[in-house]
Amino acid sequence: MRRVALFAAALLTASVLVFALLRLLPGDVAATIAGIDATPARLAAIRAELGLDRPLVQQYWAWLTGALGGDLGTSQLNGASVSAELGRKLTVTAPLVLGAAVLAVLIAVPFGVWAAVGNRTALGTGISAVSQVGIAVPALWLGLVLALVFSVQLRWLPAQGFPPVGWDDPVGAVRSLVLPCVALGLTEGAVLLRFVRSAVLGVLHSDFLRTARAKGLTRGQALRAHGLRNAALPVVSVLGVQLATLIVGAVVVERVFTLPGVGSMLVADVGNRDLVKVQGEVFLVVAAVLLISLLVDVAHRLIDPRLRATRSGAVR
Amino acid sequence: MRPLLWLTAALLAATTATACGTGGGGGETGPGASQAATPPDDQLDLDAVVTVRMILEPVSLNPFPTSGVAVDQLLLDNVYEGLVSVDDGEVVPRLASSWEVSPDGLGYTFELVDGATFHDGSPVTSADVVWSLRQQIAPGSTALRAAEFASVAGVSAPDAATVQVDLKQRDTFLLWNLTQRGGIVYKQGTDFAALDAKDNGSGPYTISAWNRGADITLTRFDGYWGATPKNSKVVLRYIPEANAANNAQTTGQTDVQTAADATLLQPFEGNPGFTVYKGTTTDKFTLALNNKRAPFDNPDVRHAFRKAINKDDVIAAYGAGIKIGGPVPPQDPWHTDLTATDSHDPAAARELLAKAGQSNLAVTLDIPNVYPRAIADVLVSNLKEVGVTLTVRQVEFPTWLTRVFTNHDYELSVVNHAEARDIGNYAKPDYYFGYDNAQVQADYAAARTAASDGERDALLRKVAKQASDDAATDWLFLNETRTVVRAGVYGVPTAETTNRFPVSGIAVGE
Amino acid sequence: MTVLLSVLRRPAGAFGLIWIGLLAVAAIVSTFWTPFDPLRTDPGKAWLLPFTDGHVLGTDRIGHDQFSQLLVGARETMVVAVCAALVAAVVGLLLGLLAALGPGWVSGPAVGLIDVLIAFPTLLLAMVLAAVYGSSLGTVVVAIGTGFGVAVARVARAEIASVRGSDYVLAARVGGAGTARIIRRHVLPNIAPTLIVQLSLVMALAVLVEAALTYLGYGSSPSSPSWGGMLHEQQAHIAARPLLVIWPGLAVALTVLAFNLLGDALREATDPRLAR
Repeated sequence: MRRVALFAAALLTASVLVFALLRLLPGDVAATIAGIDATPARLAAIRAELGLDRPLVQQYWAWLTGALGGDLGTSQLNGASVSAELGRKLTVTAPLVLGAAVLAVLIAVPFGVWAAVGNRTALGTGISAVSQVGIAVPALWLGLVLALVFSVQLRWLPAQGFPPVGWDDPVGAVRSLVLPCVALGLTEGAVLLRFVRSAVLGVLHSDFLRTARAKGLTRGQALRAHGLRNAALPVVSVLGVQLATLIVGAVVVERVFTLPGVGSMLVADVGNRDLVKVQGEVFLVVAAVLLISLLVDVAHRLIDPRLRATRSGAVR
Repeated sequence: MRPLLWLTAALLAATTATACGTGGGGGETGPGASQAATPPDDQLDLDAVVTVRMILEPVSLNPFPTSGVAVDQLLLDNVYEGLVSVDDGEVVPRLASSWEVSPDGLGYTFELVDGATFHDGSPVTSADVVWSLRQQIAPGSTALRAAEFASVAGVSAPDAATVQVDLKQRDTFLLWNLTQRGGIVYKQGTDFAALDAKDNGSGPYTISAWNRGADITLTRFDGYWGATPKNSKVVLRYIPEANAANNAQTTGQTDVQTAADATLLQPFEGNPGFTVYKGTTTDKFTLALNNKRAPFDNPDVRHAFRKAINKDDVIAAYGAGIKIGGPVPPQDPWHTDLTATDSHDPAAARELLAKAGQSNLAVTLDIPNVYPRAIADVLVSNLKEVGVTLTVRQVEFPTWLTRVFTNHDYELSVVNHAEARDIGNYAKPDYYFGYDNAQVQADYAAARTAASDGERDALLRKVAKQASDDAATDWLFLNETRTVVRAGVYGVPTAETTNRFPVSGIAVGE
Repeated sequence: MTVLLSVLRRPAGAFGLIWIGLLAVAAIVSTFWTPFDPLRTDPGKAWLLPFTDGHVLGTDRIGHDQFSQLLVGARETMVVAVCAALVAAVVGLLLGLLAALGPGWVSGPAVGLIDVLIAFPTLLLAMVLAAVYGSSLGTVVVAIGTGFGVAVARVARAEIASVRGSDYVLAARVGGAGTARIIRRHVLPNIAPTLIVQLSLVMALAVLVEAALTYLGYGSSPSSPSWGGMLHEQQAHIAARPLLVIWPGLAVALTVLAFNLLGDALREATDPRLAR
């Protein structure tokens, strides 16, 4: 309950920060509409029409109360509902991020455990080395190479774009998401692999595992019986944080593959100074990350009952 | 009249193609010399869906207040129509089948075509035209091009098919301006803000879908009054990245690639599956030198900068384009060759700078981040050669609009002035160029009210020459656009496509 | 010193340290000398292959010498990495200290602020700041530094909290030491290893984010060559001239790798649990 109250307070703070941050931007949406045919009179007329001349507090309050009801306002440029458009963009970005996250976990967990168990062997070192390289390769570079090889050369998958009809063309939609998911998932998986490896390594060196082995269990048995649950703790929290990174990675990958997702929407809207939309988008991203960390916290407690006792009495 | 014109154009195209002897695919044809003639209808798939790569997405589908050539490119002659339109630089009939100008040049009478309807089914009448034009001239109008109609005294409708426009003074630009955004005919009483959700033009297409950030689908309007489009749907895909656009074209995701990067044409060269066309544009990449701010208030410094910059290098960096040396592209009636003015001469540039007492000059360039960095790279290098340190600041377009365009808070700026026939900018002392020459302003005003086109053109030539002689700005190059077309696709517009991209003639062979 | 030796004894750590050392040398040398003027354009010498006319790595579409640009780009990369790490250290330490040691009315909000700020994606923050203050090295550094600084703050807070509860700090406090003294004598030395490891990771991330920012059009100015800028300028040509994309890509990847490996080696060298 306390955690939920904190979550609400965090959301409120975030909304103020988002609003304030974006008011700093030079140039306004009226300038975008008027373009190089602008005259001061036209600019003033457009501003008045859009309500840009109202006091900031009033604008903030209107936005916040709307947001609480699920209405993030309308685009200042074309009057489209921000919530509706975000919903549509999420049909691209959510599968992209989730697909990449699943791929990342599928790569990271088995190979991470393997690398930890095989620590100091050629195989373990090899996996470690490959993962280090994976982290270091910029996602945009990987995306460009994947498109070149699998689309332009081999013609297996589309090079860019998303079907205009969206998920009404499910095969097309899935095919367009494969390469972006791989580009995002591989780099993310490499990062995650490092955490899995070090978490498992930590467990392998722990006292309780040594006790378990002393009781006659093999390393593998001991790890399965006691270790993985303990190793899962840090990995789950890292995964939560990494989801935020994935959303950001999506901005770049969506650009490389010209996907109409939240990321490309954000870049375009910042470019057009469509502040009401940017507010909605950034707030959504921040809220999503906050929500994920709330869930991670809950998951922690489920995995590790000890936390229920200790955390509540801790610093905060 | 229209089909006849069309046939002539097709025949012309056919003969030019033979004369050039480009033969098979993969060749690059010269400007104007267009594609092979479109085969007769029975050899076409008239229900084809054509996918076209575009580069700049409109920010709104409401053409009344929204700026940007992307809006024109999408909507003019596809979704919305004016009384008149442009074909190959000439004003041609559209919703007006004919017009007459009174001998004193102060009265224009337009006769409307028969049977034109808006997409909601209601007929296009003179009342709609009158209402639309009155929105432009109303005091405090938020119409984008309201300023262009300052000469209009009043608009009236003698009968349901006739429109009368009366002027305060002669205006040689009136017809041209009516072909542009300000001339769009809306249904009487249109709520402009609602046009984003549902268009209501009289053109051959309606907008059936807009996936923001991805594509816009134009669907044939079955009730169209004019020639039936040769395709059923056109999907415009907005792909900003040049590499992604190339991938889309080579893998068949798009049929046509407009604004192809001229340095990336290798996959299409010698490839019978594609043809690359070169086309003229009015995209004038202009280097503005803030005339009102030191050191650019000194003409010597402005001339020095013009001489320092090697336009051939800039063109090589951008990949395409021609030198213009003035504000007028060759296809305009009042063009005059100014490329010899301030041609590349670093030694002379250094002398001029020394004469102006400017040594170790350091200046800042504001350039919107949508243009290739290569342009700025060349400027940095060229100016360094004459001892000027150039700092480049990449800004977003709205920042550019506010800081440079509105507040004039800049030293140097590069922007693509893509609008057609915009020489009037040099006659506005309050424009961001800061160029203030009373003679130029008088000549431009006289050109607007000139009695004949010949007189007007002579005056505008004078304006262009003076602006170049004064180094009002520098003109880096005029873009030449590349359009890649898949074999079996015909009738694709390849010239002047930045401001207008009529898609109804695009046909796909069976 | 012993830490340094221990890092150098590990092959991965040695690689990291040597590569970063080389970069530092390149950054310094390129201030005074490069084989060609990195800003000079010459379309007559465009698209040269490596080892023609003295251009070791060839030239791009307007005749920029790629090797000279890489050398100068190393400067920008090092500046971004080091400065972003410094900003992150300051932000992280300040917030961390406030959150862990401040009085209740400070620490509560500080903890809350960390939790909220950590949810703000760094790239986004950088985009907005670049749009506000113009795309310059300074904004990139501040944005990346602040963005990752919050993450550092979270780690720092946890570390400081555990140090605060330790016996020797309690002993010092009983002995009458003030907060400032405790921070200086006990807290800082004890959290330094963790902080250094975190900062080497920040440096790696900074290099990646800088490249991504430049790709999106918010990076550093064309008047100062950078790897991100090169990547941005050449990426369209990946099909026809892959080499031009490989050089800056490789430089970025190797540098990120080096910072990461260095971080790992430092962690292993300073954490006795992992030393075995």
